[in-house]
Amino acid sequence: MIRIFFVASLVLITGALAFAQTAEEPTLRVSGEVMKPLSLTAGDLSRMPQAKIKAKDHDNVEHEYGGVPLVEILRAAGVTLGKQLRGENLAKYVLVAAADNYQALYALPELDPEFTDDVVLLATTVDSKPLPKGEGPFRLVNPTDKKHARWIREIRSINVHYAKD
Amino acid sequence: MERSGTARRKISKQQLVVATLFMLMLSTLSFRAGSSRASDPYPLNYPAYFGNRFVIPADNPITREGVRLGRALFYDPLLSSNGKVSCATCHQQDKAFSDGFRFSIGVDSLVTRRNSMSLANLLWVKNLFWDGRSHSLEDQASIPMFDVHEMNQPADLSAMKLRSDKYYQQLFQDAFGDRKITGDRLIKALAQFERTLISAGSPYDHYLTGAYTPSQEEQRGLDLFMGHNASSAAQVNCSHCHGSPRLMVELFHNNGLDKEPTDHGREDVTQDRADRGRFRVPTLRNIAVTAPYMHDGRFETLRQVLDHYSDHVQTSETLSSFIADAAASDGRSGYLLTDRQKNDIIAFLNMLTDTTFLTNPDFGPPQKGIRGK
Repeated sequence: MIRIFFVASLVLITGALAFAQTAEEPTLRVSGEVMKPLSLTAGDLSRMPQAKIKAKDHDNVEHEYGGVPLVEILRAAGVTLGKQLRGENLAKYVLVAAADNYQALYALPELDPEFTDDVVLLATTVDSKPLPKGEGPFRLVNPTDKKHARWIREIRSINVHYAKD
Repeated sequence: MERSGTARRKISKQQLVVATLFMLMLSTLSFRAGSSRASDPYPLNYPAYFGNRFVIPADNPITREGVRLGRALFYDPLLSSNGKVSCATCHQQDKAFSDGFRFSIGVDSLVTRRNSMSLANLLWVKNLFWDGRSHSLEDQASIPMFDVHEMNQPADLSAMKLRSDKYYQQLFQDAFGDRKITGDRLIKALAQFERTLISAGSPYDHYLTGAYTPSQEEQRGLDLFMGHNASSAAQVNCSHCHGSPRLMVELFHNNGLDKEPTDHGREDVTQDRADRGRFRVPTLRNIAVTAPYMHDGRFETLRQVLDHYSDHVQTSETLSSFIADAAASDGRSGYLLTDRQKNDIIAFLNMLTDTTFLTNPDFGPPQKGIRGK
């Protein structure tokens, strides 16, 4: 009887822990015109190709941002890039949405190394530390943009869509 | 005399003309009967600077007769369980379709949970209610009807009540092509009417088209509000959330009302702790007439609102990072506005009052009265 009770409580606790884990861990959702929708945690991102960018934030101080180039995340989701980025695929856009519902879009060629040398970074760290509350856990850093309106903070989702005419 | 088998009747010109006129008359009649099915589209009137980022559902186009029916329903208290509460009870035109109370009282004399919101320019809003839980006017309309503290009468029940009314039978016929009165059609008509409630005639709109020159006070307030002369990022940034010609950007932010909010706002919808105390940014159009302010109507005057942002911003885990950066770092609790700055901003906010919208008879109770009486 005691054994059953012991096993049952272990199961319950593990279940509760697992639930707590998935409920708390922030994820980045990638969907839309993708071959494979993704749900990425900071851990998943740390296992993808990394890059570092130096850029000045609003405080006019230069920081070093670390993370994954946005194009690599799209590549992992199977978005039409590189050789495929031609014809009808050029009518697609990437809509990045933040926790507060703020949205901004990028055209695919702005992100693809076969079109541009500029790197748009999905940052997870600043100066080797995790991004602060209100900015992280995921933020876009795009030094090519002089204004920071597209350096979206607290990113929750990335959606690729065809433009409607 | 025998008639030849190949004899042809000669049709005179006169007979031809008569026949043609008769056919024309017949086809005109059938056209008129047909047009009571396909009602005329309702011409939406809005400035180009509002943009076209809205969706009208394919199964509910906006038609003149649909709007006429929706308007009649909007003002009809028969849609409530005690016959006394209509949509217009909590959404009064002269208050830009809010009601001037902190919370609203429905059929059971108990108060609603949150402050009644203005219905101006909802065509452009995708997340309805303070917590953004509804994504279309069709979806939203049934919720106050269902709510026991509001109208307490689901749309299907209202439809039953209206079925024997000849006035509504005609309105439904005109709007939908036959006399079937259903909850679904009731809601569609209401949504059509609501989509026409467009407010774009304030002094601010005239300023945008170059037809109005603001006073010095108004211009200072406008510049401050819009961040026109901002020399650094740590500035008054009202326009981040309340900018654009529609005076709202559809964002969810915790604007520092409480250290520990009792109303969790958006968190109730997303179950995300990071959304605690976040509410949808409402439009500031007609703000001078939509007191009291905030999701719980805690501020009675615009001055109190300005005082909050200036001196009483409460920090918490989920305080908007945009407010935190500009106003709550270095031990501050707000934007620290001077008296003059507060008065200037209030002068600008008063520019947002659109009296043509507040008095447009097209948006008011039907001329013929409730149920044609």
